[in-house]
Formats: sequence, structure tokens, C-alpha cells
Amino acid sequence: MSKNTNDREVILSIKHVDISFDVGHKKKFVAVKDANFDIYKGETFALVGESGSGKTTLGRAILRINPCSAGEIEFEGKRISGKISREEDRNVVRNIQMIFQDPAASLNERATIEYCVSEGLYNFHLYKDEEERIAKVDKALQDVGLLPEHKSRYPHEFSGGQRQRVGIARAMIMDPKFIVADEPISALDVSIRAQVLNLMNKLKAEKNLTYLFIAHDLSVVRFIADRIAVIHLGEIVEIADSETLFKYPLHPYTISLLSAVPMPDPIVERTRRAIVYDPSKLDQSGEKRELKEIRPGHFVFATTKEYAEYEKKLEEIEREQENQD
Amino acid sequence: MESENKNTNDLFTFAEFDEMESEHIAAPRYSYWRSVFRTFFKSKFTVAVAVILLFLLCFALIQPVYSGYSPIITPNINNPEMKFLKPSWEHIFGTDHVGNEVFDAVWAGARNSIIISFVCTAINMLVGIPIGAIWGFSKKMDKWMLEIYNIVANIPFLLLAMILCYVLGAGMRSLIITMCCTEWVFVAYFIRTQVMIIRDREYNMASKCLGTRTLTMITKNILPYLISVIMTYLSRMIPSLISYEVFLSYMGLGLGTTNASLGQSINLYTSYMKGYPHLFWIPVGVLAIISISLYIVGQKLADASDPRTHM
Repeated sequence: MSKNTNDREVILSIKHVDISFDVGHKKKFVAVKDANFDIYKGETFALVGESGSGKTTLGRAILRINPCSAGEIEFEGKRISGKISREEDRNVVRNIQMIFQDPAASLNERATIEYCVSEGLYNFHLYKDEEERIAKVDKALQDVGLLPEHKSRYPHEFSGGQRQRVGIARAMIMDPKFIVADEPISALDVSIRAQVLNLMNKLKAEKNLTYLFIAHDLSVVRFIADRIAVIHLGEIVEIADSETLFKYPLHPYTISLLSAVPMPDPIVERTRRAIVYDPSKLDQSGEKRELKEIRPGHFVFATTKEYAEYEKKLEEIEREQENQD
Repeated sequence: MESENKNTNDLFTFAEFDEMESEHIAAPRYSYWRSVFRTFFKSKFTVAVAVILLFLLCFALIQPVYSGYSPIITPNINNPEMKFLKPSWEHIFGTDHVGNEVFDAVWAGARNSIIISFVCTAINMLVGIPIGAIWGFSKKMDKWMLEIYNIVANIPFLLLAMILCYVLGAGMRSLIITMCCTEWVFVAYFIRTQVMIIRDREYNMASKCLGTRTLTMITKNILPYLISVIMTYLSRMIPSLISYEVFLSYMGLGLGTTNASLGQSINLYTSYMKGYPHLFWIPVGVLAIISISLYIVGQKLADASDPRTHM
């Protein structure tokens, strides 16, 4: 499944990125430690972790909101982290857009939907005349299943799902290549989550987009993502194809996350046991952990000793699978 | 085929379902300013106060033009029969120690006080709001503006007013300069704090992600949110500046003896408080009514400009 990862075009590359915040005098809180992965063009890459694990921080670093304290982020081969020229900064804004978590908080309540959606157009003057701008806004609203008559309305008149779609329209109107979706459905009602996810998938196919999908819910991620990275306390512990990760989870934290996914089957659910992640059971030798490629495209964060254990375990599961087949 | 037959024979038919139908918003179209005025006019008490205020303001601005009152024109100064008359139909507010109509004196004074406070408020707001908005955004500016604020805020106002009045001389212009030269810093500081509160909200981050410049962000994202806060500040500032003017005039620092003002009148009439208390209480009462009604109307406007009160 992941054999051809090497011939695919890398759109965004995160290279040994650290992100830290100053806490008081001379103290630092490191939110993301040594994040290192590539995102390929046209895929949906999911970043999964519990709250406070640094997933949103990393997403925001790509949009240049949080500065990196070490490492580099490259977009289409060009560095976009740290100090870059104004022109390059504008280029990042045009090509990388964000969908926010809380649709109620991320829309300007005192502006009409027309203004909210055309804000990016105004900033880059992406229209010839008023007519073209309005046509573009109408098109963007229709693309996300809203009506052109909504233009004169204010955000508080919309439902949560509609507001999130306004947020999507606002990002899509810029014709970006890459979208960071920061928990786009966590704040939504369960009944409309699928609607927004389907819309995102539809737009991805139509516009040839790449997503970085940030989430804490593995069941959602399984539905939408091609590859998944699991992040825990700022460290990426496992990266794999989504099917591989669900079939062969290696890192204890990934296993514990997977065990927390509720099953929509009462019989299975009755026997489901949530496994609590206990970092003290890991190798305590003090050796620095590294992301190691255990199978092509499947990385796990481990020391040499742990790596051997994971290798053994993986072989075991693979043998079992073969026997079953 | 079978199901078709069934359908026609059944009592029930399939309802047509249009997905787009659910996207319509049933509520009538919303206009921000229309809602503001609708909320404002909902309370009869406020409307009554607003009418009184409007009447008082018009009267204060127009009446002195016809009366031509000036404290230095005293035609009845040698006519003891015209002095200290009680209020009556002929002399509505009575007459004072030089035989002038208190009615004319009060309205001429109110006119000057109102003009001064409105002009000062306008200047303070026009200077303070833009500076405060940029101040709240710029970390560089914050450093040195805070120092300026610390210095200015620690100068005693009365001391400053005294120095400026002696240097510039009495008169309306110098009084306006006195009340504006430091007051804008307080407005700017207030706005700075408000901007900082909403500066880092998510919708501003979204705007930043869309490449919006800081200046556009201030005018489109920040200031519209601050309308109600600014209105509250405004409704407190106008009456407080009227009181300031009265206070400075009372201290003998205001417009000087040649100009009428409410402070001047109160100052002059205080000495007759025992024998002729109406002389003192009438200008005080007019001042109170103008201040309170300005405050009530301003507060109500501030409430009405908050869209959370609309629905």
C-alpha cells in the first residue's frame, strides 16, 4: 500500500520542527518536539492526539501564526518558516488556508457573510470588478451548499453546520493548494458531521487539494485520512497509512487511543476494554527515541530496544493475519 | 412497477424532499442599525428622556441667541426693584443680584457648557480611538505609549488646568485645550485595553490567515465590536466634561467673567444661597437634568448598539 510513497510529490515538508512558548522569565514550554514528516500532494494527512498534545500548534506553525524555535517547514520546496520576504508570505497565505475548529468564534459577527467570504478576495484583489467578485462569492457559497441569498446575512443567523461551511467557502475562494483543517467537526453537532466531512472530500476531489486534518477522534480520521500521525505531548509517536495503523498499531499510545474508540455494536462494546497508556512501561534506559521506519511508510518512535520489541510484535501480528487469511 | 401501483392505490404518497429547502433562513432580513434604533425606541421611558434632552439641547442652543445675554451687560444694576425677584410668570427663574434674568443666564451658561463638552468629547474621541486601536495592536508602540501614559496620568489635572489657564488666558479656546491636552490619553488607554481583549480571538486569526492587514482588521474586525463600549464611554464622558467645566469655572479657571457658563452662575450664586436659594438651585438643577438625561440616553444607546440585545 505504501510502497510507492517515494515517487510521490511532497507538497509540505516538516523538518525537525520545535515549537516553544515563553512561560514567565527564562522558562520555556516546548509544545512540539522534533516533528519530522512529509505530506504528499493530494493526500489527507491526519494529525491525531489528545488535547494539549501540540497538534493545533503545529498546524498554526504551518500558517506562520506560531513561529518555529528550531527546524524548518518547506512548502513546495521553499522554506516558509522563520523570516521570509513579504511576497513569499503573501504566497503562503494564498496557497495555504485554514478551516477553524469553532465556526461560531472564527467568523466576524459584525460582518455580513458576503464580507466574510470575500475578505481574501479583497486582500489580494482577486477580481476584476464588483460583478466578478459577487459571482465568485456566489459560486463559493453554492460549492458548499449554501444559497447566494445568504450573502446579506450575519453569522449569528446560521446554524453551526452552515457557519462551518461559510468557513470552508472563505478558505476555498482563495483557490489554495493546501488546507489545514483544525478539528473542523469537533464543535459540530453529530448529525451534521458527516455532511461537512463529505463536503470536504468532495471539494478535495474537485480542486485537487491536500489536507492536514487535525483531530482527536480516530473514528473520524479513519474515514477521511490516507495517512495518520499520532502525536503525544509534542512528540510524534507513530506515522502510518491509515489502514496499517488500524491493523498494526505498535506504539502503546496508539494502541491506547485505538482502544478508546467506541464501537457501534453493543456486543463488541460490552467486551471493549480501554487500555490506559502508561509511559513508565516504556524503555527507561534514557536512550534518545527516534522515529524509525519499521515497514515502508510505517514509522514508530522508539529506542533500539523498543524497536526490537515492536519488530517482534509486528511479525507476530502479521503471522496471525496470514493464518487467518 | 409494483411499487408504483402501490403508491397510487395507497392513501399516502411520497412527499417531495428538497435538500436546499432546509438552507433557507426563516427570520426576516437583519439590518444592524435598524435593529439598534428599534431596540432603543422600545423603552418609553428612554424615548421620553431623549425628547426632554433634545428639547433642552435645542433650547440651550437657540434661546441665548434671542436673549443676547452677557454677564457684563447689566442694565438693571442700579434698580433695586429688579434685584432678587422670586420666580414668577414675568421672570420665570427670577432675577439675580444685578437684576439680570436668571432664565437667560442659565441658558446662556448651559449653551457654553454644552458646546465645550461636546467639542472636547469629539476631539478626545477622534484622537484617542485611532491611537488606542493601533496601540492595542502594536507591541512596539505599547512599550513607549505606556510610559507616556504613566507620566501623563500622574500629573494632577487641577495643577495642569491652572498652569494652562494662566498661560493661555481665560476663554473658551483655552478651556477646550485644557480639557483635551491629557484626556485623550485616557481614552486611548481605555481603547487599547479593549482592543487587547478581542485582538487574539479566533476570527481575527482567521482574518490574518486570509492576509488581512492590521488597519483593515482594526476597522472591520475590532471597532465594530467596540461600538457599544465606546458608546458607554461617550455617555459618561459628556456629562463628566460638563461637570469639569463647571468645576473649573467654579475655581475661577474657566471661561472668565465675561462669558456665561453654568459653573460661573453656580459660583456667583453660591453666596446668596441662604437668602435666595433658588438662585443656586436653578443652575444646579439644569446641570443635573442635562447630565442625567445625557447619561441615560447614552447608556440606552450603548445597550441598543450591542447586537446581543436585538433578538
